[in-house]
Amino acid sequence: MKWTPALSLALLPIAAIHGPAIAGPRINLTVEQAQQRLFPGQALTRHSFTLSDAQRAQMQSASSVREPFRTERVWRSAKGDWFILDDVVGKHEMITYALAINANGTIKAIEIVTYMESYGYEVAEASWRAQFTGKTASATLKLNQDIKNISGATLSCKHLTDGVKRLMVMHDLALKGH
Amino acid sequence: MFSSARHLIACALLLSCVATAQAGEGSFGWIYTLDLQPKGTMEFEQRLQLNRSQAQGKYDLWQARTEVEYGVSENFQLSAYLNTSSVSAWRNYPDGSTAGWLVPSSAGTDRYNRSRVDGVSLEAIWRLTNPVTDPLGIGFYLETTTGAVKDELEGRLLLQSNFMDDKLVLAANLHFAIEKVKFDKLEIGHESMMDLLAGTSYRFAPNWTAGVEYRFHNDFEGYAFNTQTQRAHFIGPNIHYATKDWWVTAAWRMQPALGKCWSTGTVECSGGYVWDSHSRHEVIFKFGMPL
Repeated sequence: MKWTPALSLALLPIAAIHGPAIAGPRINLTVEQAQQRLFPGQALTRHSFTLSDAQRAQMQSASSVREPFRTERVWRSAKGDWFILDDVVGKHEMITYALAINANGTIKAIEIVTYMESYGYEVAEASWRAQFTGKTASATLKLNQDIKNISGATLSCKHLTDGVKRLMVMHDLALKGH
Repeated sequence: MFSSARHLIACALLLSCVATAQAGEGSFGWIYTLDLQPKGTMEFEQRLQLNRSQAQGKYDLWQARTEVEYGVSENFQLSAYLNTSSVSAWRNYPDGSTAGWLVPSSAGTDRYNRSRVDGVSLEAIWRLTNPVTDPLGIGFYLETTTGAVKDELEGRLLLQSNFMDDKLVLAANLHFAIEKVKFDKLEIGHESMMDLLAGTSYRFAPNWTAGVEYRFHNDFEGYAFNTQTQRAHFIGPNIHYATKDWWVTAAWRMQPALGKCWSTGTVECSGGYVWDSHSRHEVIFKFGMPL
């Protein structure tokens, strides 16, 4: 077996030098940093609860998200607001995001906690995240319906939107009123 | 002089080499998906394929494609390729001759080794529906190739459906090509090809996908699919690893003894295998990175 180096392979070192130097950035907040962004100056207490199989099935049915939710990632403020940490499938890695829900059941804000993909960092921009603010569990929360897509970040936009829908349904089923 | 059979063999060999490149980040070895470059972004991709083992003797065909992709709009991508190759053959055909894709008729029964720049290609992909947001993703692909080895026009219908949070991908390509084979100056071939490629890929862990892909390959004499000369099947696994800064894919496919040849193509079949540009085993390695 013999391979004579071809002209095309000469371009490899150029790409190797050039590529990583301008590859996309990464977002990697700690949970504490995300909590302070969404609830500045407030103390949050971890909330222990469980989800029944029927509740999980309802969450999946409403959102189509299949990744299991980890119930130990829910915190509550003294005012009755909620901070929920969750993962959704990204292009390569899992995307971690935080959802803040007001005591009255409306979305306060979302924050991108961990994002390490080649493209799609626009999902962390305030203008895209602001679309969720004020929505409730009864909102459609569907990409290209009440949530606008970002060109080049479709998969991230879709999975984050579905993830928020799942958490709002979970809030309605298991957190509201506690 | 090329016999007519040799002429057809060469043409068929050429045609069988076209099912190679892939758009965007390629989780498959040979199947195109509808994962296009975002608008205004570029990606570098290098692929290297080895076709090894024919009827007897030696046949190693290396084919390299160096590509730059550019996202023109959300649903339209352009790519440019530089195609190179290296072939090493000796008495690899059923009749004991040294033949096959990129081996000229003048090789006779001698050893033949040659590396060269084959040519350049331009490719366009237009995505009509996106499998991330639509039940069925549909796209059209057009590629034109020119150079010392062949002039070719390829078209593909790209189909893709995603399931399970987009972790499971089913993809298929209906692939047509017409080409003028020029690597043997004594015989210029006019051929056409129709392939169906289908496969599945599953993301079994963050960064990792694996799957299987199949190729149903048909060669014809003439530009208008006039007379079928060969039919072959290929199947094998793929594995893909990707991070934000680079990705790699490796795939292998084998040719089961289910092939068939007709007319003048029969001279390059033996034991249910179709040779020409094909082999018992084909391996591809691809590397890509955003620019």
